Formats: sequence, C-alpha cells, structure tokens
Amino acid sequence: MQVLSGLSVGMFLFLVSVGMSLIFGVTRIVNLAHGSFYMVGAYLMVTLVELLPDRPWSFWVALLVAPLGVALLGGVIEVGLLRLIYRRDPLMQLILTFGLILVIGTLVLIVWGPDNKSVSRPDVLAGSVPVFGQPFPSYYVLVLALAPAVAVALWLIFYRTRWGMLIRAATVDREMLGALGVDVSALYTQVFVFGSWLAGLGGALAAPTVAVAIGMDGDVLTTAFVVVVIGGLGSFAGSFVSALLVGLLQSFGILVFPAISIVLLFALMAVVLIVRPWGLFGRAEE
Amino acid sequence: MTASAPRVIAIAVAVLAIAPLVLPPFFLQLLTEIAIVGLFATAFNLLMGYGGMVSFGHAAYFALGAYAAALLVKKAGLPMLLALPVAPLVAAAGALVFGFFIVRLTHTYFAMLSLAFAQIVFTVIFKWKGLTGGDDGLLDVWPPPLLKSPAAYYYFTLAVVGLCLLALHAIIDSPFGYALRAARESPRRARFIGVDVRRHQLLAFVLSGLFSGVAGALFAFYNGSVFPDFAYFPKSFEPLVVALLGGVHSFYGPLAGALGFKVLEWLISRQWPIYWPLFLGGIVVLVIIVLPGGFVGLVSGGRWRARPAA
Repeated sequence: MQVLSGLSVGMFLFLVSVGMSLIFGVTRIVNLAHGSFYMVGAYLMVTLVELLPDRPWSFWVALLVAPLGVALLGGVIEVGLLRLIYRRDPLMQLILTFGLILVIGTLVLIVWGPDNKSVSRPDVLAGSVPVFGQPFPSYYVLVLALAPAVAVALWLIFYRTRWGMLIRAATVDREMLGALGVDVSALYTQVFVFGSWLAGLGGALAAPTVAVAIGMDGDVLTTAFVVVVIGGLGSFAGSFVSALLVGLLQSFGILVFPAISIVLLFALMAVVLIVRPWGLFGRAEE
Repeated sequence: MTASAPRVIAIAVAVLAIAPLVLPPFFLQLLTEIAIVGLFATAFNLLMGYGGMVSFGHAAYFALGAYAAALLVKKAGLPMLLALPVAPLVAAAGALVFGFFIVRLTHTYFAMLSLAFAQIVFTVIFKWKGLTGGDDGLLDVWPPPLLKSPAAYYYFTLAVVGLCLLALHAIIDSPFGYALRAARESPRRARFIGVDVRRHQLLAFVLSGLFSGVAGALFAFYNGSVFPDFAYFPKSFEPLVVALLGGVHSFYGPLAGALGFKVLEWLISRQWPIYWPLFLGGIVVLVIIVLPGGFVGLVSGGRWRARPAA
C-alpha cells in the first residue's frame, strides 16, 4: 500500500522533474519557476472544473486544457525573457527564474485569492479499488497508469522521432547543431513550451489529490529539484528512476521518521552532489 | 574605488551620525535594517563579486548567527554583549563544515549544494521544537535597556556594521583578496602560480559566513525574536538581489543596493503589502535584463565592465 502511494507521488514528481530536466538539457537553464508552472496548472484545473458544465467529460476536457494554458505561459516567458539572456552567465538565468517564482506566485495570489481550493475527482474514479485486500483510491490507479504512459510516449518521442533526435543532439552540443543548420532558437522555445506543458500536466493531474494552495510551488520545486539533481540534470531515465526513488523515500520517510523526512531527502541530494555532482544518470561536464 | 570615495564616505558617516537628531524613530529603524542588510549583502558579495562563487543558501549563516545569539542569551543566560561576538563563530563553524563540501563544486552545482545545506538548516530549526521553538521561534531576545531605544540600537548597529565593513574591506584589499580574485578569473592559472584555490575559496566562504552571522545576530536583537523563516530560501535570495541591485563589481554596490532595496520595500509594502514579492521579482528580472552592472555599474560607467557575476 505504502509502495503504491509512494509510486503515485513519484509519478507527479516525474512529470514535473522530467520537464525541468529536459529544459536544462537543451537550454542549460535551471528553471526554478517550474514549480510555479505546476501550481498554475493546478489552479487552472480548479477554474476549468468550476467553469465547465457538470458533465462526465468536463473533467477530462479540463485535464487537457489546463496544461495547454501552462504551455502558453511557458512560451510567453521563453520568447519574452529567457531568449534575451541565453548568452549570459548561467547564474543570472537562475536568478531570473527565481524572480519569476515571486512574480507568478503573487499573480496567482491576486487571481485566485489566499484560500485553499480543491478539485473533486470525476465520478468514475471517485471510489476505490481493492489492492491486496485494502482499498486503494481509484484516482491513483489513473495516475499510476497515466504517468508511465507519458514516460513511454516521451521515450518514443526522444528516440524515434526527428524532433527527439534534435533534442538529444542539442543536449550534447548546441553550437554544432546550430552550425549544421538547425534553428536552435526555435528548438529552445519548443522544448521550453513542452517542458512547461509537462509541469502543467503534473499540476492538473495532482489537483484532485492535494489542497491547491499558495506555496505548493515551493514544495514541488524543492522536491523536483532534488529529483533532478539525484537523477542527473538533463537525463530522462535519471528523472524517472529518481522520481520513483524520492516518492518512495518520502512516503516511507514520513512513516518511519516523520520529523526528518525532508532532511533525509536533502541529505541524499547532498551526498549525490558530493560523490557524483552530475547525478546518478547524468554526464560529467567539461 | 574612485578617488572621491573617501569624501563620499566621510559625508555618509556624518549624515548617518546626525540622523537620530532629525529623524523620527521609524526611520532610524529603517536605517538600522538597511545597515544590517548591507552587511549581509557585503559579506555575501565577498563570495559572489570577489570569489565568483554564488551561494543560494546564505540564509543558513544568517540564521545560525541569529539563533546562536538568541539561544546564548535565552538558554545559556549570556549577556547580549557577550553573545554578539560568539554567535557569528557558530555561523562560521557551520560555514566551515558545509563550505568544505560546497567549494569542491563550481557554478550551478555550487549554488545548488549551498541551497541543499540551507534547506537542511531550515528543516532542523523548524523541526527541533525543544531547542528552537520550531514554528513559534524564540521571543523576547532584547538587548540590555541601555541599547533598547531605536536611536541607541541604531548607533550600536552602525558601529558594529562599520567595524565589520572595515574588516571586509581590509580582507578584500589584502594579498588574500587578490589571490581570491585570481582564483575567480582563472583557477588553473592561479594554481600554477602557487595559489591553493580550494583553501582560499573555503576561507572566503567561512569569512562570508562569519559576517553573515554578525548580520543575523544584530538582526535577532533588533527584531527581539528569531524565526525559522530566517533560514528559508527566500531569505537566501535577499543578499543576492541586494548585491545585484547595487552592483557586484564594487565594494559599495551591496550597500547602495541595501539602501535601494529597503526604501523600495518600505514604499511598496506600505501601499500594497501583498504586491511586494511581485515588485521584487519584477525588479530582479528587470535588473538582469536591463542593468547587468547594477545601479553602481550605471554610475561608474565603463570602469567596471558589466560582466555577469565575474
């Protein structure tokens, strides 16, 4: 049981961190605003579920549209701001995306107000199914099914399409890719939009399982950050394995040592950074 | 530093000295906060501007200084004037332990590991209710009656901050300071001429932690209480934003940044308290895109090349 809920937490983490990792792999920007994208995805889900008529399909429409809204936001940020600073020191980029956390967080507070929101699960998935004789919420079954599906889809995109090939090429050598005539700037935008979409999907999917609240951006960011660092920045498989690892660690950590489960997480990250700074699955730089 | 710097400093000191005669207590408190933030940002800039190392977790050392000061006074019963010099040593010890690992990494990874350690400090403070009071913080951490009035604590803060700034200036002007710059510009060449790069960076990290601890301890007594927020990650960005705002390529940049930052914070949060983070974020974005050299970079023109985080 604990394993299953740990895995479901890992699935949300995977969606968020793989987007973050993908963006880093191609653009070399550590997008600290990624947790904010996740939060916006969850809030858009709240609004869409409220706005749409109460039909069986409206939840699924919302789940489809909310991540697209986040993708649009990501596109605006990439074209309007990040594009101007790709040549600058990576730390400046890091600080800029930190500034975006504050801006997006405050805007969300203004638009949606300070109260916690919740999204009800669709009727089909409102109950629970027995797993090993214990009730398991059926919504988590959806999560457990959908996230690996996304993982497989991503793998197919990365390794079986031309676009995926370009992304992999960009993570290895961007200048060379540009020299070969690929429009790297457009690729950056596409990847940033795609990564934002993944974060939005994570947020929209998580909305029915958590209290949608101000501050969820920071919580997700810190955890996703740990996931990405442990897995290796820019590594796709790394994100998957380490998201599951961190999800499990979190749900067991809370059982065993509730007080220090976060310390455990950061201690693990510190150890990884000291021993293998490029992460379990990443490549060493320079 | 330009030739007119001593004159500017003399005027600034004179203005600050007579300020309590003309300003109401509220502004003295604002100036006290500016001095403390200025010291915190200058200590931070020893790493960022001169060492080329950007820490994303400096709140840890600020909080260690603040909590050490509060605990020494409340639990160990030390008088404030004794707690104040001891507390920064705790921050420096923390910086030594964490820094030992952090300086092994560079750039983004350096920033991330420093953030990870700061989050650990935050969590320990937050969860260790028995010692730190957890979420409730530690209250009633006041200076002795003699220093309790805004004007008295203002003069006291100015004196302590002034001494620390002199020390920091001396450090930056020393052979050590130049070796640190050399390590920033080219670690490999610095190593060739016999500079132990890692040891210099670690020493800079510890010194930076020490003076951040002084700022934290001063703030604890100014505030009368300490809270886990002191170690939370937005606090780590405060010196970064301040230094960036003022310009990281000048000793006085972070001080100018602290003035601008605090005045702006006061003006904006007085009008629209919930919009302050929006403005802060907007300012960070604007400064990075439009003013890479900060405001001091704007004034001193081409003297300091507007290079990102040299």
